[in-house]
Amino acid sequence: MADRAASEDLTEVQSNGNGAAREFVEEWRDVAYNCFSSGHKFCREVCPVMQVTRDERHTPTAFHANVVAMEKGHLSIEDVAEDYVHCTMCGACELRCPNTLFTGDFYRFRQRTVDVVKAARALAVKEGIHQKDWKRWAELTDRWGNEPVLGWTKETSGSKVRAWAAGLDIPTGGETVLFADCEAAFKRPSVPRAVALILREAGVEFGLMDQQWCCGGPMWETGYVEIAHKMAEHNMLDWRKTGTRRVICLDPHDYITIIENYPSLDASFDEFEIVLAVDEIAEQIRDGKLRLTTPVERTVTYHDPCRLNKRMGVWQSPREILRAIPGLTFVDVDHVTQWSYCSGAGSNLGVAKPELTAEISRRRVAKVRELDGVDTLVSACPWSERPLTEQGEAQGIEVYDIFELVAEAAGFEV
Amino acid sequence: MAVALLDSVVDELTAICGPDHVFTGRSATFNRARVPAPFPVHKWDEHVPSAVVLPTSAHQVSEVVKMANRHRIPVVPRAGATGLTDGAVPLRHGIVVDVKLMNQILDLDHENRTVTVGPGINMLKLNEELRKHGYIYPDNPASYPCSLVGGRIGTSGWSLIGARYGHTRDLVISFEIVLPTGEIVRVGDGGGRTVRKSSSGYQLKHLFMGHQGTLGIVTEATLELVPRPEAEFSAFFAYGDYMDAWRATGDLARSGVATLAGVVLFDEWKLAYLRRDDEAYIPQPESIKGVIACASYGNADEVRIGAKRLLRIGNASGGVYLGDEISQGDWASRHDRYATPQHGRTRDGQVALMSWHCEDASIPYSELPAVREEWHAIAAKLRERFDMFDDWGMFAYTNGAFKPWGDYLTEIDIGIWETRWDEETWAAWVDAKRELARVSIEHGGSISACHGSCREGEVDLVPAELGGGFEVMKTIKRGLDPNNIMNPGKYLLDQAYEEA
Ligand SMILES: Cc1cc2nc3c(=O)[nH]c(=O)nc-3n(C[C@H](O)[C@H](O)[C@H](O)COP(=O)(O)OP(=O)(O)OC[C@H]3O[C@@H](n4cnc5c(N)ncnc54)[C@H](O)[C@@H]3O)c2cc1C
Repeated sequence: MADRAASEDLTEVQSNGNGAAREFVEEWRDVAYNCFSSGHKFCREVCPVMQVTRDERHTPTAFHANVVAMEKGHLSIEDVAEDYVHCTMCGACELRCPNTLFTGDFYRFRQRTVDVVKAARALAVKEGIHQKDWKRWAELTDRWGNEPVLGWTKETSGSKVRAWAAGLDIPTGGETVLFADCEAAFKRPSVPRAVALILREAGVEFGLMDQQWCCGGPMWETGYVEIAHKMAEHNMLDWRKTGTRRVICLDPHDYITIIENYPSLDASFDEFEIVLAVDEIAEQIRDGKLRLTTPVERTVTYHDPCRLNKRMGVWQSPREILRAIPGLTFVDVDHVTQWSYCSGAGSNLGVAKPELTAEISRRRVAKVRELDGVDTLVSACPWSERPLTEQGEAQGIEVYDIFELVAEAAGFEV
Repeated sequence: MAVALLDSVVDELTAICGPDHVFTGRSATFNRARVPAPFPVHKWDEHVPSAVVLPTSAHQVSEVVKMANRHRIPVVPRAGATGLTDGAVPLRHGIVVDVKLMNQILDLDHENRTVTVGPGINMLKLNEELRKHGYIYPDNPASYPCSLVGGRIGTSGWSLIGARYGHTRDLVISFEIVLPTGEIVRVGDGGGRTVRKSSSGYQLKHLFMGHQGTLGIVTEATLELVPRPEAEFSAFFAYGDYMDAWRATGDLARSGVATLAGVVLFDEWKLAYLRRDDEAYIPQPESIKGVIACASYGNADEVRIGAKRLLRIGNASGGVYLGDEISQGDWASRHDRYATPQHGRTRDGQVALMSWHCEDASIPYSELPAVREEWHAIAAKLRERFDMFDDWGMFAYTNGAFKPWGDYLTEIDIGIWETRWDEETWAAWVDAKRELARVSIEHGGSISACHGSCREGEVDLVPAELGGGFEVMKTIKRGLDPNNIMNPGKYLLDQAYEEA
């Protein structure tokens, strides 16, 4: 029982007293009331964390109700900081919210829960409440410029972030650069290699950043906002230094971080075009610039990465790519069913609560096993591939990144 | 103010449920104090439990209840916490027994067509599994994506497709329940776990449904399986006059079409409310004063033939068929159409974030027009006095299982700007609820078709509705729960102990 005893006199607790907490409540109270007043709780059963813990403290409903309770002086950030760790920021709750469903189309309204969780985590950090391993992760990211890799053994300093590209002779900078995510660069280098090889095969000219730092996403997501800003500002400076206008992201986490967070830091952000590698490569295939001729004899299903599917509505391109691979049998599970699927890796849950991530991934892979004849799970997100691969090994399902398969179909070995 | 349990009591709970499944912290307890609105936000701390347990077996539940009896501590069962009569809100603090971790499918009996589950499972999730085998469990409330089997039994719920498949009481075959004194018993129709009809002994299944957790905690339930329907048909008709729509509702409900799953009547207030929702009835002109939805399910050939008859009745009654897109699309979104806070409006038309309250009486068909007028008048008076209430209109749904023509689940939805609560507005609200309930009873109806009737205000009239039956309730309560520990304070049942 990590939580504080409820025996204190509640009337004495005035959490909205201090400045940061008050600002937080003022900023988020309307968003929170939107959920509090709706009260449908349709989000609960699609939430990947709730499917495992079944603990009402971890519901999106609670994440909003806490804000209301803080406003009324019933709860303080100390009471709830640990609860907010239980979220992968997959966005399923926002999609399933009746507020989104029935005011969304016209007003472009979307219930904002991911942002509330981010803000609560940032408030916690501001108040000196840290999750041990998130703090360590943040310190190492700050020190090295790139995120560590779970297991903590590898040094992920900026000087090594291009190691995956050894022998590929990719220039530095230029109009277009490939932004290779930290996790991919250090943990699954076959992914950036695959992307580089197929982009080149399709005739896309691109370079690598001079000094690529972490996109800053996990820092924003875990509340270390200052470090996030430092990363973002460095990266934009680097792009400008090498004349870059176009950035291809192979990882959905990088993409969403850059398009959601960078613009507010830089008034001229519009000069950059940020592109998702899945969209770019689907287009190259469509236009006949990338020909896939080597059969890949597998029966696969596709895992919709949450940030692509649930946060950005990108689910068509990856399917288009998979259908273009010769030899492949593709057993699709539609993207709406997948609102309730997740790998559990998002927003550094796997760093703070590895058992929870493992269980979410175990259940995801178990869903694959229910599909007749499927031997391979394909994802398009290096973050998801770590826990999914571990669980896949235990359950006899191979896990690939979509670009690894595309490279194979294009005749490369990665 | 929260009330602390003795450390020794918390230790006992921990010994029973394990350290990971017992919580006394502020966020764990505050987040299990409320159910959907209206909730007296200004009095939140009066409803905070002292501890929460998430048991994983009937044995654990039984031990918790026995312990609570020893120490005279209230126990409040909690499932999905979507109940609309505050059943899962602790009125006397105590221990919340949250059954969400008991969400397993325990047995699938293909031969006898039953599925046995834990009380923490949600119907949508259950159906994701059943679908693979060609079955559904057709308990389909508007809260289908969020309520749980334990709460369905605790409230004796109503299903949107109940005219065809029955409601919760028709679909739950038998269940295991921990009595208020801790014994674990199985109740059903007679003794057999999968028996649907028996004349052996008292009919205990009904007694242990809809009691709002005052008579025990369900720990396992055996449910009906029905073949997954091959076809769905839904049709929406528009009318220029409410009374025409009401007559047509009766015609459809009495049609005798066996696949008919339900008929829903929307009044003009509801239509006006839905016009605030860009995706609903915006294309319908103001001249439309009533809409009917009907739906049917079953084998493709039977649905097809039934559909022809339903369309014929709809047209003959002067209804204008609203087309396939609205008919299919709006029926498909039936679970979500209830409340969108942004659709709240103040008297001068400003948007205010409002919570949804739904009053859900059972009203005889003949009385629907009169009740409608009286209910809207109560809502109008409330809105006139306080610019924080908004009339979101009325629905009437067929209420009987299999023979859906007699009475209707009659619903008025009221938007409430909850940040404005204070003692005066809360009191006015409670009075209005009592008035709504009074109208239902005066017209030969019942205060609630599905949610239960133990919220402040309405509950005062339960003895008037049930008459001598309420005396029997008290006798049963006292007999089964001698220490009044099961969800005390609900349904005025404290009276059972005052008299003793
Ligand atoms: C958007 C929305 C739409 C709704 N539509 C409908 C509808 O169409 N039809 C309908 O019937 N209801 C509807 N409801 C109301 C609500 O969903 C039902 O009352 C439902 O049955 C409550 O289930 P729950 O799991 O949320 O239970 P809870 O709210 O947790 O509990 C309800 C009651 O049952 C008791 N209880 C819980 N678990 C157990 C148990 N294991 N054993 C014994 N008692 C227990 C509780 O103490 C409480 O008194 C709706 C609610 C919402 C929010």
